[in-house]
Amino acid sequence: MAGLNIENLTKRFDDVEVLKGVSLDVADGEFVSLVGPSGCGKSTLLRIIAGLEEQTSGDIKIADRSVAGLRAADRNLSMVFQSYALYPHLSVAENIAVPLRMRRLTATQRLPLVGRLMPGARIQADTISQDILTAAERLEIAHLLDRKPGQLSGGQRQRVALGRALVRDPAAFLLDEPLSNLDAKLRVQTRVEIAQLHRSLNATFIYVTHDQVEAMTMSDRIAVMMGGRILQCDTPEAVYDDPDTIEVAEFIGSPKINILPLTYGTDGQLSLFEQGLGLRGTGRIDGAVSLGLRPEALHLATENAVLRGTVAHSENLGSEVFVQVDIPGLENRVTLRATPSQRAFLRVGAPVSLGFDALAALVFDGNGHRVRGIQVAPRSATEVA
Amino acid sequence: MTRDWWKHLILILGVIVVIAPFYMMVSYSFKSPGEIDRGEGGFFGRQELMIDPRCVALRDPSRDDIAAAADRFPGQSERQIRDALMAEAEVECSMHPVVFNYSKAFTEAPLLRYLLNGVIVTVSIFLLQVVVALPAAYALAKLKFWGREAVFGLVLFCLLIPVHAIALPLYILLAKLGLTNTYAALVVPWTISAFGTFLMRQFFMTVPDDLIDAARMDGMGEFAIVWRVMLPTAIPALLAFAIFSIVAHWNDYFWPRIVVTGNRDLFTPPLGLREFKGDGDGSFFGPMMATATVIVTPLIVAFLIAQKRFIEGITLSGMK
Repeated sequence: MAGLNIENLTKRFDDVEVLKGVSLDVADGEFVSLVGPSGCGKSTLLRIIAGLEEQTSGDIKIADRSVAGLRAADRNLSMVFQSYALYPHLSVAENIAVPLRMRRLTATQRLPLVGRLMPGARIQADTISQDILTAAERLEIAHLLDRKPGQLSGGQRQRVALGRALVRDPAAFLLDEPLSNLDAKLRVQTRVEIAQLHRSLNATFIYVTHDQVEAMTMSDRIAVMMGGRILQCDTPEAVYDDPDTIEVAEFIGSPKINILPLTYGTDGQLSLFEQGLGLRGTGRIDGAVSLGLRPEALHLATENAVLRGTVAHSENLGSEVFVQVDIPGLENRVTLRATPSQRAFLRVGAPVSLGFDALAALVFDGNGHRVRGIQVAPRSATEVA
Repeated sequence: MTRDWWKHLILILGVIVVIAPFYMMVSYSFKSPGEIDRGEGGFFGRQELMIDPRCVALRDPSRDDIAAAADRFPGQSERQIRDALMAEAEVECSMHPVVFNYSKAFTEAPLLRYLLNGVIVTVSIFLLQVVVALPAAYALAKLKFWGREAVFGLVLFCLLIPVHAIALPLYILLAKLGLTNTYAALVVPWTISAFGTFLMRQFFMTVPDDLIDAARMDGMGEFAIVWRVMLPTAIPALLAFAIFSIVAHWNDYFWPRIVVTGNRDLFTPPLGLREFKGDGDGSFFGPMMATATVIVTPLIVAFLIAQKRFIEGITLSGMK
């Protein structure tokens, strides 16, 4: 097990720059998710770490040793692919055995038929089958060892792919969207299992996903990637509650964060629809200021709130209700998280007033950067209504 | 009558055209020379006992034979003894036409030797073709290198060159190297198969890239990937190629005829057929057709066994 350092990595395919200077440090035993929309370069980054793709510039260190120019096979990393990539002609046991056979047996010992007769081959074969059994038992696939991948369900194949990755002791595990081919129920279950596996192996995991729920639930840290850069790399809580940019705030969180246009008065007051919000900026803020409010930061308010509109649509998830509200003067609907008991007030077409928690308000400048140091006026510390 | 009856009609006509020569071949291999000449006897011939005139001629008793046989025929003249011996020879040399044809096929020419040569040549050609074509196809399908499309274009171009166009230069090359009348002359020119490279490349294109990347992560080199991952997944396509290659070279008459000029030990089965080409004294169609039947049987059996996978391979439906 080892840590991993990525320094200023760039990658260019012809004239398209896919990675534009990515730096990331992953500590030993850490679970880091690379999350971002498709085409953001996260899979390319993972493939460069694995050694399957060569970087244009920059360096990667595994356990403080540069792996520049090393083949994928020599980097001692394990990878789980989205399509599982099991060898269709080999049984489950043989699939799991491949990385061990390629590393522990000599070329002559690997020969078909005669290889078994080579000196030392028998002892090696015994330890290999012992290791396969240990890995299979850990993943509860010991009863499938004789089957071919074609006879397995998606979830079982996924486990075999995991087994093939963890049967040896790699410096780090690389996982490329391993759950995206599973059905929703199995995905939730496997998510928990992978997180537990990470805890029990205490290994370094780098996990690529486009699904922010996977990233939020499993990771020690999330690296949000967009347009070939890492926009923010921090704990799931920090990325959610304290995003650095409007892109991160919009990408992380479901339903999406509400973005409202603000005006920044000369006196430092931030106002929405010409009404002061009790929020005061310090110093200069460039461009059009906007306010980010998570659906759970909004709540139903009594009369005279700044945000007033009508219910356009509501989604009842059982434990909570997401309500989309049309607000005159806003292009996009505002999403509110309500409790099921409030559904009576939230029929489509019903007028609603929304208040919000000023402490949870996120202010961004015209370039999408977060504006910190927003002061909350005492009178409205808890509610602007 | 279904609406598609005309399709079946066309197919049946096609089948008749294809089957007719085989029907004639098998039928002739059963018949006596007389039946073949007169076109009688249906498919199997009448299978009446016939006398092999050559066998009888070979047993024409000499003076010593007659003297030796005098004890068995006491009190008879030399002339009578001779007639009696001839009658015995005719009995021994009479057989059913089918037995005659097939025993001639194996005794007149060393057919087993020719069949063995055929096996040696076709199997060596196929194995060497696989050794060359699989890595080439893998490189053309899955590796990125400068000029890959141009190289693949050349492979396609090579598919268009007819064998006969390059036969003469090839022959001269082999002759200058002193390789005519060797197994090498029969095998070496065919070891690089543009068709095999093309077919396998098309199949490898359907193998997911992830599988190759997984093999690389597992510690395989590129050649290990070809033999341990690509080859086993490509078995159906390889079988299809095997049929094409083996049929083409097993049945090839043209090339062995050019490079094997004297040494009959190197004759392949089709060259063996020439042995029954009677020059002055008529042709031995019965034994010739028996030989032809023996030659094609292994191929037909192999095809029937591999039929299902063969069709899979041609339709390139392997992985999905």
